[in-house]
Amino acid sequence: MAAVEVPIEKWTGKVHEVTLGGNGRKSVVVGGESTLPFLHFEGSLPRRPVIAIEVRDSEPKDWSPHLVDAWGDVLADPAAWAKKAMEYGADIIALSLRSAHPEEGNTGADEARKNVDKVLSAVDIPLIIYGPGVAEKDNEVLVAASDVAKGQRVALGNCEEKNHRTIAATCIADGHVAIGKTPIEINLAKQLNILLCDVGLSRDSILMDPTTGALGYGLEYTYSVMERLRLAALGGDAMTAMPMICTAGEESWRQKEAKFAEGMPEAWGDHLERALTWEEITAFSLFAAGADIMVVRHPGTVERMKAVIDRLMSESA
Amino acid sequence: MSRFIATSAIRGAQGVVKQAEDMLKDALEKLGPDVPIALVDKEGVGTTYYLPVIYGYSGHKVEKLGDMTTPLEHAKSLLPPVPSENLWLPYLGETMDAGVATLFAEEIIEGIRFAKGEQPEVRNGYKFNGPISDVQTRSWGIQMVDGSMPGFAAVIGAAKSNEVAVKIVRELQSKGQLVFLSSTSNGRSIVDQLLEEGVELGYQTFTVPFGTDTISVVYAAGYATRAAFSFGNIAPGNWREILLYNKFRCFAFALCLGPMDDLKWATGAGAITYGFPAICDTVVPHILPTGITKYEHVVSMPFDDIPGRDDMERAERLVQRCIEVRGIKIKIPKVDIPVAFGPAFEGEVVRRENLRAEAGGKGGTCFEWLTMKDMDEVEDGKITVVGPEFDSFEEGAKVPLGIVVDVTGRKMQKDFEPVLERQIHHFMNGAEGVQHIAQRDIAWLRFSKSAVDKGFSLRHLGVILHTNFHNDFGAIVDKVQITLYTELDKVEELRKQARVVYRERDARIAGMTDEAVDTYYSCTLCQSFAPNHVCVINPERTGLCGAYSWLDCRAAFEISPTGPNQPVPKGKCIDPVLGEWEGVNSFVYEHSNRNIERFTIYSLMDSPMTTCGCCECVMAIIPEANGVMIVNRDDYSMTPCGMTFTTLMGTVGGGLQTPGMMGHAKLFITSKKFIPVEGGIKRVVWLSKNVKEEFAEELKEVCEREGVPDLMDKIADGTVATTVEELLPFLEEKGHPALTMEPII
Ligand code: SF4
Ligand code: SF4
Repeated sequence: MAAVEVPIEKWTGKVHEVTLGGNGRKSVVVGGESTLPFLHFEGSLPRRPVIAIEVRDSEPKDWSPHLVDAWGDVLADPAAWAKKAMEYGADIIALSLRSAHPEEGNTGADEARKNVDKVLSAVDIPLIIYGPGVAEKDNEVLVAASDVAKGQRVALGNCEEKNHRTIAATCIADGHVAIGKTPIEINLAKQLNILLCDVGLSRDSILMDPTTGALGYGLEYTYSVMERLRLAALGGDAMTAMPMICTAGEESWRQKEAKFAEGMPEAWGDHLERALTWEEITAFSLFAAGADIMVVRHPGTVERMKAVIDRLMSESA
Repeated sequence: MSRFIATSAIRGAQGVVKQAEDMLKDALEKLGPDVPIALVDKEGVGTTYYLPVIYGYSGHKVEKLGDMTTPLEHAKSLLPPVPSENLWLPYLGETMDAGVATLFAEEIIEGIRFAKGEQPEVRNGYKFNGPISDVQTRSWGIQMVDGSMPGFAAVIGAAKSNEVAVKIVRELQSKGQLVFLSSTSNGRSIVDQLLEEGVELGYQTFTVPFGTDTISVVYAAGYATRAAFSFGNIAPGNWREILLYNKFRCFAFALCLGPMDDLKWATGAGAITYGFPAICDTVVPHILPTGITKYEHVVSMPFDDIPGRDDMERAERLVQRCIEVRGIKIKIPKVDIPVAFGPAFEGEVVRRENLRAEAGGKGGTCFEWLTMKDMDEVEDGKITVVGPEFDSFEEGAKVPLGIVVDVTGRKMQKDFEPVLERQIHHFMNGAEGVQHIAQRDIAWLRFSKSAVDKGFSLRHLGVILHTNFHNDFGAIVDKVQITLYTELDKVEELRKQARVVYRERDARIAGMTDEAVDTYYSCTLCQSFAPNHVCVINPERTGLCGAYSWLDCRAAFEISPTGPNQPVPKGKCIDPVLGEWEGVNSFVYEHSNRNIERFTIYSLMDSPMTTCGCCECVMAIIPEANGVMIVNRDDYSMTPCGMTFTTLMGTVGGGLQTPGMMGHAKLFITSKKFIPVEGGIKRVVWLSKNVKEEFAEELKEVCEREGVPDLMDKIADGTVATTVEELLPFLEEKGHPALTMEPII
């Protein structure tokens, strides 16, 4: 058989490395890639893609019965939940301060401080902290969370164009990382990175969330945007070279294929297996597109993804 | 640099350094070197940054009394001699050194006072705040960075009267400035004035009383230094970075009320090193040239000479001037009108049944005219209605209306006038019950009964414009004033003047050539759908959607420097005929995700611009006819190339570069730079009928200009030919010039 010569691309750029945690807490470093995902033969992939498990500050009311079964009682206690997530293998806890949402409790800075503090003391792995997704409330609770977590180098999100200055400012002041979220568009993602740097945030303190849909719900758009962002980064564009984070869990578990446990057509097969597959395929596709951090919900997915990553990250793969 | 100020500041610095030296000597003797030094506010909350100004400037930590010797020596070493009578050199450097020495000495003095338990100051039972705590610095710092509270005003001295003091503070607050209060003038302090008027002072109300002497002004510098530590990520001792951070990011200034003295000048010199200018309400020499501060350094605005009906107006103007000198941009949270405002109302139609009054339209007299003026010719927020208001109009009346907008701004350019003027349409349509159509002297406004019933008046048109120009165009607009005329003769007279200007502008834009500029602009707005598409926009060709001209892009870039419109320097010319430049090529290469390597401006056949789906027209060659056809988006007919507009789009859209096919704007056909390499408009053998009709006059002119006055009659359209077979005989019969031109391929 004739030997096939593998074409090697010479990239000039490299993804920035971003560190979370440290200072007594375990640290997680992401980024540093100098080639496309898992192409060990072409460049270096010094860091494993990592998994974050979503934990909420208040018991979720509309979650799938599959998730409720998997987590049980801990859903009502963020600290216990985070501990259990760590046992299931989470590299990071993604604490969502959902109770601050005007329609889900409308709690404020004090509640945020309390919960962040609790979770920080319960686990020794790094944290991502999400606001409720309403700009005004995000600013209120994230600024408070940032203060409590000072020195622990957490990631704060989401930081969008309209509130980027506030989140950037608090990240600079307390030494955290900002998660810049833009709606599935390469130029907007890049522009937000530039704006964040303009405010004074350093490049190694930014993660990008390009916004994703689940499998069958627009995943392919995100895939292509992430691919292009990563190609631009490897091509030498420092303002697209931030590590990427995706929320596969939230998106997958919103869709009927995953969410419901009954009342689906027979042909869809085992409900739980289907739901897990939905989250898994969404997550894996996004890793293949270049994601560095994946936020998921089901413990089963963590196990499955870890197995896949183990294989893909072994050089002989 | 003013000799007077330099002399005064240096004298002041020598005095205060001497005072610090004496106090330190005394304190060391009485208290010993190990007494801890900690700055705290009146609640006892302090800072982890030691004496922050000294720490920032030199990296030296003052933790106890004994640590003060080093910074004191440092201050002494900075002290320049007082300029002698016959020295006339500029003293800027020396004065700045004196300023820094002053801040060091002042901070040492305050530190010693803390050690002795004399700070924060207590006077007549009132406890001043003293320095700002770290906790408060962090919370205000975030607001400084996010722009909701851009900076602070260090108010020094006392105002002309209590009322003026209150007015000044209120005005500063309304502009989002923190207010720091210190010092006295003629024995009075602004803190006394405010307290006498019952004004609440403290962190909660964004007004911080530091103390009654000038020395306490150093707390403002300490605050600024800590902001740079926390939000600029700057290490102590890195003084240059700290000062630059403050110059560009912290919008602070000193407002000196009442007579100046040596120490005030010396402290002011210290503030100037941070880039904070001083505005004085007394007669002092100006220091206008910029350099260390962003704009002027010292501005004199003697209070009684400020134009205004009364002291309140004078106070307002004084603060307005401060805002200008420091270059602070103001955001107005809400369009303050009695009806709703937002994009939801943009398409709203005001029907006859609900019509309260209208201006313009058929037979009406209405115009809009925006002019750039000098800084001192525009009073921000001034809205004047000259003539009757709604209450004197009959229901459904057609009234004359002249909308005259004057804007000014440090980054404003004459060429942006039309760009801004066109926004009037968009802004006014946002108001519920207001319908706006067209622009310039064909503008047409309709106002609904329900809006007027809710209290909407013509004045509110001014409010809409003022608010939106600030919020959307704050990058280029600093001040806006609006005058609305409703008297027929006045409106007609002004309209005459405006028309002259419209004509001048058109002539200027028509006369703007690609050769006259060295920078083109890009637009990458469409990359969300066509990832590799880049519009390169030159003065003689707009973006292919027709919505962005070169001037629009230039203004857009000023407004949003990281946005989708970026300057494209032409760079070295590779081929003047093809219109190929190195700068353009490399820009396009980089921004097309490395897909498009070459790019010409003047050719359809050789590396033309890429096409995305939003072009107004697409042109394609018809080899058989040795020419090109142009089909418009609104033309649904079949075309001689065998494809409709939609099918053509499917072929070339999406960001592809297709020699022989290219998307473009309708008006591009009339440009002097319309495919000159291929021979220009003479190549057009087929053109959508609706375009022919819409631009009949313009096209006629172009044909005359190109020496083919009857060309339009020779160009086919969908009514005579939808196939090549039908097209060719038509062209032969008419004797179309393309048939005899050199081969297009
Ligand atoms: S078509 Fe218009 S909007 Fe799109 S990139 Fe070109 S100029 Fe910009
Ligand atoms: S949809 Fe357009 S890409 Fe497609 S065209 Fe419109 S903005 Fe350009």
